[in-house]
Amino acid sequence: MWQYIVKRVIGLIPLILVVSFVIFMFIHLIPGDPARLIAGKEATIEEVQEIRVSLGLDKPIIEQYFVYLKDLLTGDLGYSIQSGAPVSELIGERIMPTLGLTFISIIWALVVGILIGVVSAVFRNKWPDHLGMVVAVSGISLPNFWVGLVLIQLFSVQLGWLPTGGADDWKSYLMPSFALGAGIMAMIARFMRSSLMETMKQDYIRTGRAKGLGGNAIVFGHALKNSLIPVVTIAGLQFGFLLGGSVVVETVFSFPGLGRLLIDSIQFRDYPVVQAEILLFSLQFILVNLLVDIVYSFLNPKIRYQ
Amino acid sequence: MKSRISLLLFIMMAFLAITACSSDENSEGKAKDEKKEITIAIDQNFVTLDPHNAGDTVSIFGTRAMYEGLVGFDQNMEVIPVLAEDYEVSEDALEYTFKLREGVTFHDGEPFNAEAVQANFDRIMDEDQDLRAKRNFQYVDKMEVLGDYEVKFTLNQPFSAMLNKFAMVPFISPKAIKEDKDLGLNPVGTGPFQFNKWNQGDSLVVDKYADYWGEDATNVEKVVYKPVPENGSRAAMLKTGEADFVYPVPQQNVKDFENNDDVVIEKTPSTIARYVSINTFKEPFNDVKVRKAMNMAVNKEAYIDVVKNGYASILDSTMSSETQYYSKQEPYTFDVEEAKKLMKEAGYADGFEAEIWGNSSSETIQGMEFIKQQLAQIDIDVSIKSMEEGTLSDEIYTPETPEDAKVQMWYVSWSPSSGDADGATRSLFSSEYFPPNGANTAYFNNSDVDKWINAANETSVKEEQADIYSNIQSTVYDEAPWIFLATDTILSGHTKNLDGVYVLPDGSVSIKNATLK
Repeated sequence: MWQYIVKRVIGLIPLILVVSFVIFMFIHLIPGDPARLIAGKEATIEEVQEIRVSLGLDKPIIEQYFVYLKDLLTGDLGYSIQSGAPVSELIGERIMPTLGLTFISIIWALVVGILIGVVSAVFRNKWPDHLGMVVAVSGISLPNFWVGLVLIQLFSVQLGWLPTGGADDWKSYLMPSFALGAGIMAMIARFMRSSLMETMKQDYIRTGRAKGLGGNAIVFGHALKNSLIPVVTIAGLQFGFLLGGSVVVETVFSFPGLGRLLIDSIQFRDYPVVQAEILLFSLQFILVNLLVDIVYSFLNPKIRYQ
Repeated sequence: MKSRISLLLFIMMAFLAITACSSDENSEGKAKDEKKEITIAIDQNFVTLDPHNAGDTVSIFGTRAMYEGLVGFDQNMEVIPVLAEDYEVSEDALEYTFKLREGVTFHDGEPFNAEAVQANFDRIMDEDQDLRAKRNFQYVDKMEVLGDYEVKFTLNQPFSAMLNKFAMVPFISPKAIKEDKDLGLNPVGTGPFQFNKWNQGDSLVVDKYADYWGEDATNVEKVVYKPVPENGSRAAMLKTGEADFVYPVPQQNVKDFENNDDVVIEKTPSTIARYVSINTFKEPFNDVKVRKAMNMAVNKEAYIDVVKNGYASILDSTMSSETQYYSKQEPYTFDVEEAKKLMKEAGYADGFEAEIWGNSSSETIQGMEFIKQQLAQIDIDVSIKSMEEGTLSDEIYTPETPEDAKVQMWYVSWSPSSGDADGATRSLFSSEYFPPNGANTAYFNNSDVDKWINAANETSVKEEQADIYSNIQSTVYDEAPWIFLATDTILSGHTKNLDGVYVLPDGSVSIKNATLK
């Protein structure tokens, strides 16, 4: 197992190189000139050129990439074009709120999603099942920015219970994490339901019933764990997408996280910040997938890695 | 069983959370008033707090809470003395002498004097620092200290907007400059408020400065700026009372607030001019008759109603009424028959096909659709090309010559960076400023106008400058290089018990007179 993990982590290095190259090229090839955006609309061509030179943007793009790569390998993420602040500092300030938000979202989505899925499977085609699936379908179909705005209207404007945005205390996390997690919760509930129903048809469940085990013992003692594999897969994948979703949700709730930093940086063509953020997102995606693989082997000891 | 317990626990926690919030909120609201604290919600993040390097409107007004210059702007963007008691401009418009105010201290206790001005000047002109403020001093040749409280700036060529440029240069404590701490994060100025903390992307907090030199014009102890980009969320903050002042208030929410007794909506005319630039270098737009016909085919009142929800006024010159040396022109009347006649005279009785460019914001797209529909009345078949801002900027500024330029019409707006006539004229209408060198996307080329733009700088007599700019405006307006549309109205909102916070025509928020009733 440990060998496998070490191997996977080492395998990350070439992957990061490829990802960094793709990110760099993509960002530099999209139209838009940061030098002109910095110089402002009243700038003359000389002023724009001067800024381009000072940022090193006048060099061939391959040369720029190697400069970037060299800095990256020595742990230097560079400086923001827009504000001049070190990129590591900008990301450092924003990463905790976003991680907090995504973790709260995924955890409540897992707990509630699994709960709804199990209840729906156990009470198949009865009212708890129908109710659960209505909740699930709504969660998938409603866009999270809309959910966000409705929540603000209800809990902040009408009831005055929660702040409209920010990340000042735990209260400011409630609405954004709800909006962010709703889709995943729904997805998990549906996968949980179908997977559990599938498991309940297995021979060993019938054997369990035959030897007189009660409903709860069957579901929680035998079926649940065996049904979790597709749920873990989907939760892992979705966790990666959560960061994408956080871009929208953070904007609606004026939440000072990575998503908003990304939006601001893209608009300004702040190359170093965008590169660092997307690299971070990719890394996190890879790590979550590794984690999912490891969890598999705990859920099903038959799955072994070499 | 397990599932029931966890469900029950979940419901209980949710209930507890909700009740806990509601009681907290009330006590917080009361505490906020007692402490004389206000929250200002704005639509963008602060980028930097270094006043010599701030380029965006939000960073500029954020730093203005803590910093001051020799001169500044009043509520109507007229230049007024601030850290200078008085100033004098020589007859040849080359020498600016400032008498400095005595008894002014920076927030770190350092005195403000000629030495401090020198330290700031040196920092700005330092090539290595590459600061944005250097642009304001592009015509400044040298600075001299004439006494402890007297300085003189000498220009290498006259510049009519020089005083406005001085208003854009605030002064940092010389001690802070010397210590070379990151000034983008640690502001030390002379303003009525001093820095408390800045959580990037979340909030900027400033406190009242007890030893402020000027009149004690505020009873607010603490101001919190909160960037809230989402329109709906920002408007909600004004409704809930989380924000005491909100700018900008989204157009669609204004009606809603007008029925709200706790909120006051303020409408301020802005320096933002909205127009469609027409490439006068290209056929058929090189014919002034065509351009006039286009102006007459667009119903500006309807434009304001439809696209701006009524919150704008007709653009009746080449610049907004709030800009220095603005001179009102007779707007082109909406007259489709007359426009058709002009098209016929120009040889385009059957119209032609054209393209309009603009950014991808929904308001711009709506605006372009309106123009398309209006120009269809004189058989101009307009296709709309909407592009993301950075891409659009590339398309406009990449062509090296007017011949290469592909732009025909561009739906855009302009606001001079320091409210001055030069900034609203030179890069838009001088033939030296065709892209990529400037923003003259109409490729407007008129030797008289070129001559006048330079002549306005060569005199220091205000009346003469006003005359020259008036000539420029009437000539350009008559040549119709743009479809002149509207001047934006700035919409801000505040709670009833807050006074004295206002938005200047250039979109900057001033808090120095903030008063809680």
